[in-house]
Amino acid sequence: MRTEGLRVIAAKEFRDHVRSRRFHILLAIFLIIAVVGLIDGSIQYNQQIEEYNENLAQVSDDEMMPSYFGWKPSILSAFFKMSMLITTVGVVLGCAMGFDLISREKESKSLKILLSHPIYRDEVINGKALGGIAAIALAMAIVLAISFAIILIFGIVPNLDESIRILLFGGLSFLLIFSYFAIALFMSTVAKDSSNALIYTLIIFIILSTLIPSFATNESVMEIVVGEHPEPPGMDKFSAVDIIAVSEPVGDQAEPSEVDLAWEEYGEKADAYWEKRNAFTDAVNLLSPSHNYQEMAMAVTNPQLAVAFQSNSFNDPYDEPPESGLAVLGDLMGELAKNILALFVIPAAFFGLAWIRFMREDIR
Amino acid sequence: MIRCEHLCKVYHGVPAVDDLCLEVPEGEVFGLLGPNGAGKSTTILMLTGLIEPTSGACYIDDLEVATHPIEVKKKIGYMPEDVGFYPTLTAEENLEYSAKLYGMGKERKERIKELLALVGLEGVTKEVGGFSKGMRQRLGIAKALINHPKAIILDEPTANLDPQGVADYRRIIRHVADQGTTVLVSSHILSEVSKVCTSAGILAHGKLVAHGTWDELARIGGDEKVVIHIETRTPMPDLQSPALVAAEFAENRHRARIVATVDIRDELADTLAEAGVAIRSLEAEHPDIEDVFLSYYHTTEEAA
Repeated sequence: MRTEGLRVIAAKEFRDHVRSRRFHILLAIFLIIAVVGLIDGSIQYNQQIEEYNENLAQVSDDEMMPSYFGWKPSILSAFFKMSMLITTVGVVLGCAMGFDLISREKESKSLKILLSHPIYRDEVINGKALGGIAAIALAMAIVLAISFAIILIFGIVPNLDESIRILLFGGLSFLLIFSYFAIALFMSTVAKDSSNALIYTLIIFIILSTLIPSFATNESVMEIVVGEHPEPPGMDKFSAVDIIAVSEPVGDQAEPSEVDLAWEEYGEKADAYWEKRNAFTDAVNLLSPSHNYQEMAMAVTNPQLAVAFQSNSFNDPYDEPPESGLAVLGDLMGELAKNILALFVIPAAFFGLAWIRFMREDIR
Repeated sequence: MIRCEHLCKVYHGVPAVDDLCLEVPEGEVFGLLGPNGAGKSTTILMLTGLIEPTSGACYIDDLEVATHPIEVKKKIGYMPEDVGFYPTLTAEENLEYSAKLYGMGKERKERIKELLALVGLEGVTKEVGGFSKGMRQRLGIAKALINHPKAIILDEPTANLDPQGVADYRRIIRHVADQGTTVLVSSHILSEVSKVCTSAGILAHGKLVAHGTWDELARIGGDEKVVIHIETRTPMPDLQSPALVAAEFAENRHRARIVATVDIRDELADTLAEAGVAIRSLEAEHPDIEDVFLSYYHTTEEAA
């Protein structure tokens, strides 16, 4: 049978977070940057929507082919910019809220007193996590509420589609901050004191947000893992006549020339190489919550752009522009399922590790 | 009320508590004495359910601690040696949090007020971060009493207290004991334990080397050696006895300090009379309680 401990501890932790100066300062910075970014984004949006309307009038007059330059602007683009902020300030907020949750108890010698109460040990760590989650949720709710207020002040009324996507963006941002909160909480259980816990958390933050993404695209690493890029067929092997033959095949019955075959083989090898390389990059990047978040944030705030990246059709101006909104986002979900999963799995894994470590903590 | 049966705790192959058997009856104020590293705190951690024994068992009010930790924790109050609280909360807020963790309802407000008055912290509104060690210790005692425990376990309770704090602590323990609460006090300061406890146990190297009332402990400990002081009018000859351990002469053999395994005053008086030495005084020294306890520790060290 569980005790009242979980609720009491979670309530106390939540109160501690929202009363702490650290939380106030970081939330204030977060809000200032978000507000400034949204004001800027709202002004730009209003300008873009005017230009779009002018273009639309021209397009209907000229019957011009639709192109990506004719995408309807969305206020969500301002939120996409905000995602950059969340990968820094938001992440710092998550780290700052979690790094000393357990180590502070050890330092202030209150852990022994706390555990002498009639509560289960898991209620302590679960309560601390719940209190932190509630405080992060509150911070995100404040940021989103103020964001809505600002865009409304600028006369921008998001439709249902956009409102849902803004909320999804908030949910994703929450997951990113929670990921780093869980990492910091784990470090807090591992480290002997809060300063070490903070250092360990920052090291992990740098590894996950910077080193892993750069490792995943590093050419030397690529060469070791997936080998060298296949060489195109040597130009000196073929005469000018051969090359003309490639570009101007004679009739349907013409046998493929040596040059055709060589280029075909090269094409296959290059495709296989890029497939392997992309698979490796994607797999390594999955370890980075920041990368997963950015992928997801782009899909939610700018699904057309995300589709263009995914389908690699951005450079083809004559393709149909993707539909906007949730429908496109729904189509992207299959491609981004692994990123969504990783955004859940990474915090869950670190919280699990923190839980195990705390349950085995030696109290002396 | 408190019982240990063959309790053992081993850390990395080294026994911190070794086959400890102990019983503290209900309403008793029991002192657990021992030098640093004797295993007192480890025993207390097992009694409070914070660590599990390697073997053996301990019971509070007939409930085995390792198998019923939550029920046991509801029945006891505990103050660790290095008592710590949340520095950003006030004394009242810290106690409020503690009371909630014990599942106390609205009655907690009254209890907190009562306890803060008992430990002399009423009206203190500053955060615990600004408390002196002594104030924290007082708050620790209040916390140990918040849930109306049947037994309270205090680890080195006077370690950081000033003389007034120590006097208050004694008053509080007597007040608690008068209400029938069992008290277990761990300390290495004998004088403190002897002033509040009705009985004591002595731990050394994780083993209980002696236990009983103060008289019993002094008698058992003091039985081993007797110190006899002799003063004579003429110089003493060499003294012989099978029970004699050591003889130190001073002042031209007019004074002697004799250490013997039993009281040999009669035998010495006869010897001196036979040698024609006039005795001015012949006294057996009653063992000092500190010496008695030191002898317990030393005996165990020698055995180890």
